[in-house]
Amino acid sequence: MPTRGLIARDLRVAVENNEILKGIDLTVEPGRVHALMGPNGSGKSTLAFTLAGHPGYQVLGGSATLDGEDLLALPPDKRAKAGLFLSFQYPAAIPGVSVANFLRTARMSVRPEDLNPAKFRKLVFDKLDTLDMDPAFLGRYVNDGFSGGEKKRLEMLQLAILAPKYAVLDETDSGLDIDALQSVGNSVNALRESDEGKDIGFLVITHYPRILKHVPADVVHILIDGRIVKTGGPELADEIERDGYDGVREEVAFKAAMDEFVVAKAPIV
Amino acid sequence: MSSGATETVAALDFTPTAVTLVEVLSVLANQDELATIDEVRQDEALRREALATYEALPAPGARPHRGWKYDYANLSFDELRWTSGSVMMATMPKRPVHRLDAEDSGADEIDRPALATENAGGLFFFGATYVDAPSNVDPRVTVLPLTATTVRANEGILNGGHTHSILHEIVDWRADKFAALATAFQNCGAFVYVPDGVQIDAPVQLVFANSEAQDDAVFPHVVVVLGKNARATVIERHVGDGDPFVCGIVEAHAGEGAQLDYVVVQQAGEAARVIFSRGARAERDAQVRWHLAELGGALVRTVLGVRLEAPGSRAEASALFFNTGLQHVDLTSGVDHLVGPTTSDTVVRSAATDRGQGRYIGNIVIRPKAHGSDASLRDDALLLSKHAHIDSVPALEIAANDVKAFHGATVGSLDEDALFYAGSRGIARNAALRMITLGFFEPVIARFPGEALRDEVRTALDRKLDDATEIDV
Repeated sequence: MPTRGLIARDLRVAVENNEILKGIDLTVEPGRVHALMGPNGSGKSTLAFTLAGHPGYQVLGGSATLDGEDLLALPPDKRAKAGLFLSFQYPAAIPGVSVANFLRTARMSVRPEDLNPAKFRKLVFDKLDTLDMDPAFLGRYVNDGFSGGEKKRLEMLQLAILAPKYAVLDETDSGLDIDALQSVGNSVNALRESDEGKDIGFLVITHYPRILKHVPADVVHILIDGRIVKTGGPELADEIERDGYDGVREEVAFKAAMDEFVVAKAPIV
Repeated sequence: MSSGATETVAALDFTPTAVTLVEVLSVLANQDELATIDEVRQDEALRREALATYEALPAPGARPHRGWKYDYANLSFDELRWTSGSVMMATMPKRPVHRLDAEDSGADEIDRPALATENAGGLFFFGATYVDAPSNVDPRVTVLPLTATTVRANEGILNGGHTHSILHEIVDWRADKFAALATAFQNCGAFVYVPDGVQIDAPVQLVFANSEAQDDAVFPHVVVVLGKNARATVIERHVGDGDPFVCGIVEAHAGEGAQLDYVVVQQAGEAARVIFSRGARAERDAQVRWHLAELGGALVRTVLGVRLEAPGSRAEASALFFNTGLQHVDLTSGVDHLVGPTTSDTVVRSAATDRGQGRYIGNIVIRPKAHGSDASLRDDALLLSKHAHIDSVPALEIAANDVKAFHGATVGSLDEDALFYAGSRGIARNAALRMITLGFFEPVIARFPGEALRDEVRTALDRKLDDATEIDV
């Protein structure tokens, strides 16, 4: 029995030969919510894109597995079929392809076995309702001319319809007003309470802690300069809210200095 | 694509001569037993003048290896098989005048249901030969093969019954090499007349079919006249697996307040050469909408034009082509705003893969008297392989003040971000590529009238994607 979880081990990633992730260790268990917080440029989105298989990200070393399956060996669509979902910070537009057609094609790709058209239709309309979305959405072209909020709602709609094993939400709260954030939160929570969604493991990537008020995290990781420098409970997010990343940065710098000091002293001791 | 397309890129032999014309005319001469000597002479004089014009005019935009391939199209007039013409110039058929034996004509080889557009009646041509086909055209509408007799019987409509004459006047063959050629050798055609106030829902369908057994010199001339406040949809189709040379003219006249949707679905055989000059004229408050899907053929050239001659008139041109294999498509659209206020909206989507070549020239002219006019021209091209090529040349010429004019053009390859996005949803690269490519054409397809027609175009494009050998560099 392979280890369950979305697991990164010493994952090192470069973009255009510039090392961004310098050894990430992370385990997202089924049914749990992990928050990955960090300032701009810390490598949060790099991790998201690397897990999803974007061709522009070059893995230098380490591993990433999903319930034991080697993600790094798979093209993006096979990762999705293995059970991974990425909610994009900036979802691409696909002009000329309707949301309805896209949803159906995606669902059929990920789960070819199930759902007749009537059931699929009901599923879609239920989820639209949860997200407070107008069914007219279905006739529009995917992300084409969508507002920031509409794009994020469509991401959440896809999450709900594809019901993956693990979902990476990349800055889903950015660009959302309070109402939109609320309905995104409701949608995620409704999914987590459903039979289909109760075992989904979440990796919520965010700069600001506010989304965690709507989707409470079990574990919070702080990513700075390509490394997870601190891991803790929900209170860690509160700390970030209060002190910003500078507090953690200082603490880490202090700790590093101490370690160096201790190492330097070691031979004498 | 098979090697059929390869054969068109060969030595130039594109020289019909007066001798050829005489030979052809001898075939066409006893076209119409009822034609008078004068009519025959007039006809011959026009054809001779047109042939001389054809010979005198240069091949348009000669740029070998890039946009233009007529320079080395293997077009040997002497080898073209000519139809007898006896059918098309027969007496005016209230009922179809001639019934070809299905076995002889090869008509069985054409998939008839595939030609059907719900309730569409109209004319069916095999090669240049008019074939009896069940037709349920609205009785208020005249749909006839274009013969001398038809012209005589409808003289008032065709030559000055409205504000201007129509026949040979809307498309200026004196300035268009291939329109001149079509005029010289015209051997089939159709006349569609929708009288004042008549509005029909079921489209009129003109089918040009061809199989390998069929005559392959096809020079159609289609004339569509809509009276005041008339409304109609005409669908022109090219189908079959023969490799004909089709060179034709379409002239359309939309009277005051009339609305014409003219659809072309060109699915000629893969070695066919299909060249058309299509022109329309819109009178006061009239609307002319061209919908063009160039899907088949090895060598295709289309000129689409609309003259907006009176205030309130509007032109829409929606065109797509998708060149696979060695296909070459050359499309020119032109909207001429002669007076104001008039409006036009042109949308073109083209794609090419394998070694497909394409060229689009979009012209908008706003004349000095056309103040208050509004013109929009949008053209996007998608290249799916590194050997494919599409040129795009939009041109706006504005001579009036107080007008709105927009044009935008892009040439690009597949959006990698969109491919990755679809991939992240479990959609494999091939399927995503197909989805995105079909979606690319959608803004044009969406403007075609009727869901059946739109689905037909989508299916045809899908099939072309199947046939493409080199996609995604």
